[in-house]
Amino acid sequence: MPIFSRIASIFRSLSQRKENEQELDQEVSSYLDLLTQEKIAQGLDPEEARRRARIELGGVDQVKEQVRQVRAGAFLETLLQDMRYGFRMLRRNPGFTAMVVLTLALGIGANTAIFSVVYGVLLRPLPYRDGQQLVVMKQEAAAAHVSNIPFSVKEILDYRSYNHTLQDVVEYHSMVFLLLGEDWAERVQTAVVSANFFDVLGVKPLLGRTFIASDESPNADAVLVLAYEYWQSHLGGDPNIVGKVFQMNNRPHTVIGVLPQIPQYPATNDVYMPTSQCPFRASPDMRDMRDHRMMAAFGRLKPGVPLQTAQADLSAVAHQLEATYPESYPKAYGFGIGVQSLQEELTHQARPTLLILLGAAGFVLLIACANVANLLLARLLKRERELAVRSALGATRARLARQLLTETILLALAGGAVGLMLAPPALQLLVKFAGRFTTRAAEVRIDGPVLLFTVVVSVLSGILFGLAPVFSSGRQVSDALKQSSGQTTTSRGRHRLRAALVIGQIAISFTLLIGAGLMIRSFLRLERVDPGFKPDHLLTLRISPSFTRYATPAQSLALSKNVLSRMSTVSGLESAALAGNFPFNPGGIVGGPGSNTFQIEGRLVAKGDLEPIVDTTSVSSSYFETIRQPLLRGRTFTDHDDGDTLKVAVINQSLAGHRWANEDALGKRISFDEGKTWITIVGVVGDAREYGFDHPPGDEVYIPVFQSGGGVGHLIVRSAADPTSFATVIRAALHEIDPQLAVDQVETIERLQADSVASPRVTTMLLGLFAALAVLISASGIAGVMALSISQRTHELGIRMALGQTKESILRMVVGQGLSLAVTGTVLGIVAAAALARLLSTLLFATSPTDIMTFAAVSLLFLSVATVSCFVPALNVTNIDPFTAVRQE
Amino acid sequence: MASEQTSLLQGTLDMLILKSLSAAELHGLGIARRIEQITQGTFQVKPGSLFPALYRMEEEGWLTSTWGESENNRRAKYYRLTKAGHRQLETETERWGRIALAIARALEAS
Repeated sequence: MPIFSRIASIFRSLSQRKENEQELDQEVSSYLDLLTQEKIAQGLDPEEARRRARIELGGVDQVKEQVRQVRAGAFLETLLQDMRYGFRMLRRNPGFTAMVVLTLALGIGANTAIFSVVYGVLLRPLPYRDGQQLVVMKQEAAAAHVSNIPFSVKEILDYRSYNHTLQDVVEYHSMVFLLLGEDWAERVQTAVVSANFFDVLGVKPLLGRTFIASDESPNADAVLVLAYEYWQSHLGGDPNIVGKVFQMNNRPHTVIGVLPQIPQYPATNDVYMPTSQCPFRASPDMRDMRDHRMMAAFGRLKPGVPLQTAQADLSAVAHQLEATYPESYPKAYGFGIGVQSLQEELTHQARPTLLILLGAAGFVLLIACANVANLLLARLLKRERELAVRSALGATRARLARQLLTETILLALAGGAVGLMLAPPALQLLVKFAGRFTTRAAEVRIDGPVLLFTVVVSVLSGILFGLAPVFSSGRQVSDALKQSSGQTTTSRGRHRLRAALVIGQIAISFTLLIGAGLMIRSFLRLERVDPGFKPDHLLTLRISPSFTRYATPAQSLALSKNVLSRMSTVSGLESAALAGNFPFNPGGIVGGPGSNTFQIEGRLVAKGDLEPIVDTTSVSSSYFETIRQPLLRGRTFTDHDDGDTLKVAVINQSLAGHRWANEDALGKRISFDEGKTWITIVGVVGDAREYGFDHPPGDEVYIPVFQSGGGVGHLIVRSAADPTSFATVIRAALHEIDPQLAVDQVETIERLQADSVASPRVTTMLLGLFAALAVLISASGIAGVMALSISQRTHELGIRMALGQTKESILRMVVGQGLSLAVTGTVLGIVAAAALARLLSTLLFATSPTDIMTFAAVSLLFLSVATVSCFVPALNVTNIDPFTAVRQE
Repeated sequence: MASEQTSLLQGTLDMLILKSLSAAELHGLGIARRIEQITQGTFQVKPGSLFPALYRMEEEGWLTSTWGESENNRRAKYYRLTKAGHRQLETETERWGRIALAIARALEAS
């Protein structure tokens, strides 16, 4: 039969359901009538004829049911009927329905929220043309354990010319410049890129054009491409922006284009300029010196080239360079190159955390399903007779199973819908959280694939928790019908199923609780780390002077002195300092410690051997006193440590211990320029956690700001009162000195310190939340099963009492049975947790994944919760009156 | 209702219903009796198989039905072959002939 007439007949039979039903009814009774007439004609008396006819027909309702099943659209019709029936059942039990929907909504909502992050960050294709072809290149020095050495201009040119596997190689670095409008100055984060940057990424401009090769030639006019966000927020989305001219680095820069709203890679920038325009990049030193490495490089694979092939190809180029320029690639460092897909590069930091959270959310949903399955099983006891009657009226087992599954899937979809409403608020928090690991967080949203996920998860959970009642509803019809109303006995199998569900729930929640416990313990340890200074009452501001106004070191130095002396006049400030970096500076945490090589006087390092590496920070004389970093030996800087006097340095305890373990570091001399100038160590200070709590203090050299070019960087002040209240005063004071000073990143160090542990904090909170949910759901599961089993055993317990067993001993017996489930679940949980906790180890700080304390504490907590949830329903036992109970049957 | 038996008999039952209606229109009981008669009692069609088959074949467009009076003045639903039904009967007959022949040969062989 052609498809359209089939569809037509489905519609017909659906729309004329009532008429069809009537006709079927008439036809079957007419058949019965005719059959009776036939029997009478054969000589039977009417009564007997009617009886035989009915036997021959075999049940009016059964025949009708069989016809209904073959009818076109029968499937749809049954579905609609089941759904109507299902809705009615759910409406009739609002408490049950609300309980189930809410439980599922929590589980499905959590999964939807986490999955949308996982999808947006890990799974969604990169928002660039053929994003899977994009690869990031990194130079490595395996022997020195450094895996992200930047590239020099020369190196990028070489890799671009000599490789065979990449379509092109892009050069990138980012700097802050001042953009001058007619009457304003603004710091702009500027990406300095090779002209092919946008073509390789496959990004088309929203307005105007992007760069072409001629823009990169040394004599070209200076041009700028604006990022969408900067154009919107700072230039009002001006549609006529193309062609406008701004001053930058003492040159006019013309805007040639605006980018579409895309996630920016490698970082979020305000404007883009070609490499020829950056004053640093364009200097002869930068262009010609192979060792001046400050660029990032990425490229696009030729179509069909696998990553391994590209890796081998680029390694060959690296070997060639090493052989040609041994001066630039000392053997001892083990130079090489690594290639990684951009997708991997962008997401590898977020992956472990996100997958663990997704797993935890999945566990919560499993527990929720087990709980709902248990509720359904309990309710099925009350529906047994209904099902038996339906089965007697011709419903097959498959038909009943379908009915039950339709109901559970309806429930699950309702749970999914409510969960979907819960997801967006949770998502806001999660996106902010994921933003700490990856720029892709901006792409997270609830869209088609996420909705599909939610629907699939809902239906699957519906089937999952629906299966238990379906499988256990296979009892003999006649048994159920024979039972007196209200009293049904549970089959052993079903009781065992419920016990298994509870044990599973307990085991999974226990595992989750261990995960949360480990994270909490690790987080407490992280927070208890001594930062090595006093972070309270400190305010920091970033100051960016115009490069053109303060071109010489003398000018910068004068500005620094000005700023510090002006601060001493602000009332309420205890002290003020300038520093290039400071502990918990977010910029510092992202960049990590510097790796400057230095030499120690009298300890010659053979040429080509690894030189000692140290991080350097330039600070003003008042720095250590301001942040209260303790001086251990010698002295800190004074205002006289400037360009005219002896070059001095303060080192931290870690460096002193590493390099001068058995002697006094004071008075020793070091050099950063291969012995041209020597710097004398005058003091040793305690170790501060410069790069965050989880970054153990490394070797540190502090240089007086007045001896290192006088740069300003960050102003740090200590106040007696709330430091945030000084922000306005300080800003005003700075603008009195120079109205064109750009002042931003105004934060208290306490706040930055809290921020630096925000991602472990949120991970801990989320895991804690999931675990709490799981325990709550499981506890209600235990209580529910206990209550049901007691109400079913009232008769038996009554007899026990009548025979003289005391209430206490009955209580002990009942609670003991409940607790045996809890203990079995906990033991399974300990085994599972010990196996799964290893997955957490990358997220843990100074905590073993099998930390005995955590396991012990969690077991104790868990068993007390289980005991309470066994006890509360068990107390009902004491209300049993043996006489009523025994007579109940 | 064992499903194995139904599927085995379904094609046969359809053909027998078509055949029974090829001469005249009949009501449900009439069809059952006619089949019994033409197969000399080999096939006794129960309402539980007959009605689903009738409804299915009507939906396929092989049969049409009208309500009418039975021989002893009872209301009954009468079935009649459509053109498509006649064609289907031819196809089925031909197909059955082929199968019967093939099976007969297969059994004679060896």
